[in-house]
Amino acid sequence: MRQRIDIRRLAQYGVVVVVAVTLNFLLPRLMPGNPLVLIAGVDVGLLSPEQRAEVVARVGLDAPLWKQYLRYWGDIFTGDFGYSFRSGRPIVDMIRDRLPWTLLITGLSLVVSAVAGVILGALSAWRRGTKRDLGMLTGMISIESLPSFWLGMVLISIFAVQWRLLPSFGAVTPASDLVGWALTWDVISHAILPVLTLSILATPGVYMTMRYSMLETLGEDYIRTARAKGAGERRVLFGHVARNTIAPVVTVLAIRLGFAFGGTVIVETVFSYPGLGRLVFEAVSGRDYPVMQAAFLVFTAAVLVANLVADLLYPLIDPRTRAS
Amino acid sequence: MRRLIRSRGMVLLAVLALAMVACGDDEPEAAPTTAATMAETTAATGVPATTQPAAPLTTMTEEPSETDEAPTTTVAEVTTTSAAPTTEPPAEPVTIRAAVTGDESTLNPYTYISGFPGWNLLMLQYDSLMQLDKNGVPRPWLASSVAVNADLTEYSFTLEEGVTWHDGEPLTAHDVDFSVDYYINNVEASRFARDLRGVEDLVVTDDHNATFVLSAPNAGFELAALADVPIIPRHIWEGVELPSEHQFEGGTNIGTGPYKLVEYVDGQSYRLQANPDYFRGAPAVDELVVIVFADDAGAQAAIRTGEVDVIFERIPPEQIGLLDSQDPLDVILGPEFTTQMINYDASKRPFDDLAVRQAINLAMNRRDIVDTVFLGAATVGSAGWIHPGHPSYNPDIATVYDPAAANALLDGAGYLDSDGDGVREFDGQPMSFEIITNAPDSLRLRIADLTVEMLGEIGIHTSVSAVETGTWEQAVWPGFDVNNGRNYDIAMWGWSAPVQADPLRLPQLVASVPAGGFLNLTGYASAEMDTLSERLGQEPDPAERNSILGRMQEIIAEELPFVLLLYPDGAYVYDSSVYADWEFIAGQGIVSKLSLLPPSARP
Repeated sequence: MRQRIDIRRLAQYGVVVVVAVTLNFLLPRLMPGNPLVLIAGVDVGLLSPEQRAEVVARVGLDAPLWKQYLRYWGDIFTGDFGYSFRSGRPIVDMIRDRLPWTLLITGLSLVVSAVAGVILGALSAWRRGTKRDLGMLTGMISIESLPSFWLGMVLISIFAVQWRLLPSFGAVTPASDLVGWALTWDVISHAILPVLTLSILATPGVYMTMRYSMLETLGEDYIRTARAKGAGERRVLFGHVARNTIAPVVTVLAIRLGFAFGGTVIVETVFSYPGLGRLVFEAVSGRDYPVMQAAFLVFTAAVLVANLVADLLYPLIDPRTRAS
Repeated sequence: MRRLIRSRGMVLLAVLALAMVACGDDEPEAAPTTAATMAETTAATGVPATTQPAAPLTTMTEEPSETDEAPTTTVAEVTTTSAAPTTEPPAEPVTIRAAVTGDESTLNPYTYISGFPGWNLLMLQYDSLMQLDKNGVPRPWLASSVAVNADLTEYSFTLEEGVTWHDGEPLTAHDVDFSVDYYINNVEASRFARDLRGVEDLVVTDDHNATFVLSAPNAGFELAALADVPIIPRHIWEGVELPSEHQFEGGTNIGTGPYKLVEYVDGQSYRLQANPDYFRGAPAVDELVVIVFADDAGAQAAIRTGEVDVIFERIPPEQIGLLDSQDPLDVILGPEFTTQMINYDASKRPFDDLAVRQAINLAMNRRDIVDTVFLGAATVGSAGWIHPGHPSYNPDIATVYDPAAANALLDGAGYLDSDGDGVREFDGQPMSFEIITNAPDSLRLRIADLTVEMLGEIGIHTSVSAVETGTWEQAVWPGFDVNNGRNYDIAMWGWSAPVQADPLRLPQLVASVPAGGFLNLTGYASAEMDTLSERLGQEPDPAERNSILGRMQEIIAEELPFVLLLYPDGAYVYDSSVYADWEFIAGQGIVSKLSLLPPSARP
C-alpha cells in the first residue's frame, strides 16, 4: 500500500518535471523580441542577410523548434548547457559563479526570518488579543506590504550614504586583494544590507504561519487537558504546543528554501549583488535563451527538491500524517 | 494527502510561470538609441510658403550656442587641472574606480557586449590603425601615416615602429592582415565584419607597410573601419576556431593598448592595469577598476558615497545639477550623436501624404521638449537629421515650430474635423493613432507624452502605448530586417551614435529598401534620394560629397521620412579630487583611452 503511494508520488513529480522543462523551453521563445541583438551585437540591423543567417545558424536557432527542444533534453541529461548568447561564457560557469552569492543572502535571510518569525509569532499567539499581539500583527502586515526596492533604497541611503557605515553595492570590494579575516568581514559587511532587506520582508510570512498555527493548537482539547492536569505554562508551551505547531512552519520554510535558489531579482538589482536573480534578469532582457533555460531548470529542480523534502519531513514531525 | 501533493504541484508550476513572466519587465536598450548635440536649428521643412527664415524661427533658433559652449568650457577647465598628476614625477599611483551598468563579459572583440561602454572598454586594451581626436576626427595611431588614392579605393598605411603586444611580441602588418581576414570570416563580431565590408584584399608590402584594396570607392573608410576595428595578434588568435565561445585564461586579453585586463569577476568587476610600455607613452592612470552595477541609481548612490570615482554612462538630466553641486563631484557635458525622433509608417494612409508629415513636423515644439524633458541638456533637432555640431551639417536647413501653419496645411489638404469632436478625419476615419514607445526609456516616454499634446493642437488624436523593449522593436523593425515591413502607425525611435557620426551612412536611413535603405524603418521612398544615395558613396571629392549631403538634408527636411526631434547631450559625472583629466570626444563621450593618457600623448 505504502509503496504504491510512493510510485504515484514519483510519477507525479515526473509529470511536473516534464511540464516544467517544456515551459522552460517554450516561455522564452513565446516572448516577443529577438535574441539576435545580443548574439550579433548592437548594430544587428547593419548585417547583411547572409551574415545574419550565418550568425543564426551558428547558435542553432535555425533548427526547427522540435529539434531545439530535443537538444534541450539532451543538454539536461548531459549537464552541458552550452554558451550564453550574450557573453559567450559557458553557462555552467556563470551559474556556478552566481549561485553561491544568491544562496548566501537568501540562506541567511531565511534563517534570520525563521528565527524572528517563530519567536515573534509564538509570543503573539501566547498573548493573543492583547495590545502587544495586535500591535505586532498590524506591524507585520504593514511590513509585508513594503516594496522591496524601496526598502533597499532607504537602507542604502541611511547606512551607506548618510552614515557611511556599510558599502552600498556588490558582494566584495572590487580589486581589493583582501584575504583571510579581512575578506570574511568584507563579504559580511556587503551582505548585511541585502540580508536585512530580505529578512525584514520575509519575517511577516513566517510570523503569520506561526501565529495562526499556534492559535489553532492552543484551542485544542489536549491543551486544556494539559492545563487541567496542572502542567506549568512552560511545560504546556514546549511539551504540548510547540511540537504540534512547528509542522506547518517547517513546510513553509522548506518551500521557501526551494525558492531561495531563484534569487531575488529586485534586491540583487538594488544592491548590484552578483546573484542568480540578476543573471536571469539580464538573460530575460536580452532573450538569452540558453541562460534562461538553464537557470529556470535550476529553479525548477530546487523547488521540486524542497517540496520533496517537505513531503518527507512532514510525517517525521507530525506523526498524525504518517502512512494513512 | 495525495490531493494535497497534486495541488501543490500545480501551484508550483503556476508560481514558476509567474516568476518567469515577472522577470520580463524591464529591458535594456538594445539596437536603437539616441544621441547628439546641436547648435543651431533653422527653419523650414518643405512647407512651401512658410519657408522664410525670419518668421519661422520661433522658439528654437537662439540658444544653440549655449549648449554648444558647454563642452568647450569644461574641456578647457579640465586641461588646467590635468597638468598636475603628470608633471610631479614621484606621484602616488592613480587608481580610478569607474561604474558601468551591466556586465560586458570578458571584453575581447568577440565577447564584449554593448556598443557603449563595452566597445570603449574593449578599446582600452586594443588599438586601431587610426584614433579619433577630441573633435571626433580620425588621426593616425597604430599607423604612423595613412594615404588614400584618388578614387578612394586604396588606403595605404605604415605602422609605427617598435609597437609590442602585451606579451612582448612585436606588432607587424601581418597581424593587421590576419585581423582583417579573421573578422571577415567570423562574422559574430558583427560590428567589425560590417566595418570591413567592401575590403577586397589587404596587400602586405613588408612588416610595416600594407594597402587596403576596396571593391568600391569608400570615403568613410577611415572613420568606419580604420578608427573602429581593433587589431588582434595573429600568434594568439590563429588557434581560435570558435571565437565567440573561446575563453582566454583568466579572462585576460592580449592587445597593444594602454591597459591590460588582469582580472574579471562575472557580474562584479574588471581590473585593468596600465601598460607602462605603451607606444604613445605610459598612461596617466595606473589602475582602472570597472565596477558592474545593476542599474544607474546604484551607481549614482556609490559616487555620492565616494565608493566610485566616475560613472561610465550618461547621467540623466535631472541628476546633472544635483551631482555637480556636491563637492568634489563635477559634471562634464558635450555633444553626442544619438537621436530622438518620431517614426511613422509613410507607406500607408495618411502618412503617405506629404502634407500630413509636414504638419506633424510643424507641430513639434522641439525647444519645449528639450527644456521640459531634458532640462536643457539636449540639442534641438534639425529637421534635416544631421546634428548642427557635425561637419556635414547644412546650415540652410530651417526647422520651424508653427502649429497654425500645420493646421492650415491639413485644412488645405482636406483633412477636416467634420463631426466637430476635435479630431480631424481621413478617408472617413478619425485621425486617431497609437504612439508606440519602449517603457524602460523614461525620457522617451515623456517625449511621447508631449508629442500627444502637440499633435492634439493640430487635430490629430494620439495615445501612448508603452511596451517592453523587445515588443517595441518587433513592431517597428520586425526581425531587424526592413524587408519584413512595419507594424505600427507612429513610434518614438532613436538611433545609436554611429548611425549619425558617419554621415555616409545616411543612405541607409533614407534610400528606398531595394536601393540599400536597410535602416529605412518608415517605408519612405524617393527617386531623387535614391540617386543621391548612390552618388554619395562613390564621389571621390570631399567638397562634392558635402554638397550631396547638404542636398539630402534639404530633401529630408522637406519630405520628412521621419521627424527628428533632438540630440541628447552627453553628461558624465566624476570625482575631481581623484582624477580630473577627462577628454570629451565629440559624439563619443569620455570613455576612451584619450581620457587616461597624459595630455601630451593625446592626438
